[in-house]
Amino acid sequence: MNQEQSEIPRAELQEEALSHIDALYRTAYRMTGNAMDAEDLVQETYLRAFRSLHQFRPGTNLRAWLFKILTNAFINDYRKRSRRPRSTSLDNVEDYYLYSHLIDSGIQPASTRPEDEVLASIPDEAVIAALESLPDEFRQVVLLADVEGFSYREIADIMSTPVGTVMSRLHRARRRLQGAILKACTAAACSVGSDGDACDARLR
Amino acid sequence: MLDCDEVMERLYHYLDRELSEAELAEVRAHLDACPPCRERFTFEQNVLRRVGKCARQLSAPPSLVEKVRRMCDQ
Repeated sequence: MNQEQSEIPRAELQEEALSHIDALYRTAYRMTGNAMDAEDLVQETYLRAFRSLHQFRPGTNLRAWLFKILTNAFINDYRKRSRRPRSTSLDNVEDYYLYSHLIDSGIQPASTRPEDEVLASIPDEAVIAALESLPDEFRQVVLLADVEGFSYREIADIMSTPVGTVMSRLHRARRRLQGAILKACTAAACSVGSDGDACDARLR
Repeated sequence: MLDCDEVMERLYHYLDRELSEAELAEVRAHLDACPPCRERFTFEQNVLRRVGKCARQLSAPPSLVEKVRRMCDQ
């Protein structure tokens, strides 16, 4: 261990690593689709992290480092033994701009901002269902960018992918996500409840 | 000044704070002068925020936190 690495006590690093457990768990949950596998994946992540804590370079991003370990564990370990089929298709969901659909549906961007009302009326369940319907790589890039707030550069490092690939994948994933939100909303969730009725009517 | 199409191409880079200062100034100048683009950017930002907010409504179970904490002591 060099001098620089010895500056941060192991216990302190472990404590900081532990502070990211909610973020790692929710990402693992969205990637695996269930609580049991998510817990296994998070435990495996911490096991690997604590085992190789001496390799962590002080001054670099511990949170990103943990997500990289989680990602590797998901790809190399979990996905190989998973019973869950790898999610690669989106059925007939197209890349989409929700906004274009709303405008095409006759909603004008007026001062009252009705398109924001439509967005607010989409149930959380429809948003989550849309997110979960994305292919693995698309879902992960959205989780890292829009849920966890990582930069393109950090995501590239976490996913071991060129930055250009991250950008194109993220932009495409978001348009697909909007298509999936629209599909999930019109298909099921939005037909329930008063808010849903409003959403359904708006999105027709 | 950038036109609407050029600004739309920079939509996500802008929302992701991945533009340089100079590029940021160009986009802001257009948005200040173009209400439709401004509306659009705000809507797209709200979609991203909504996705983030929904997906963050999940915490690690206490039993998992406890298991990982015990790993620290080993």
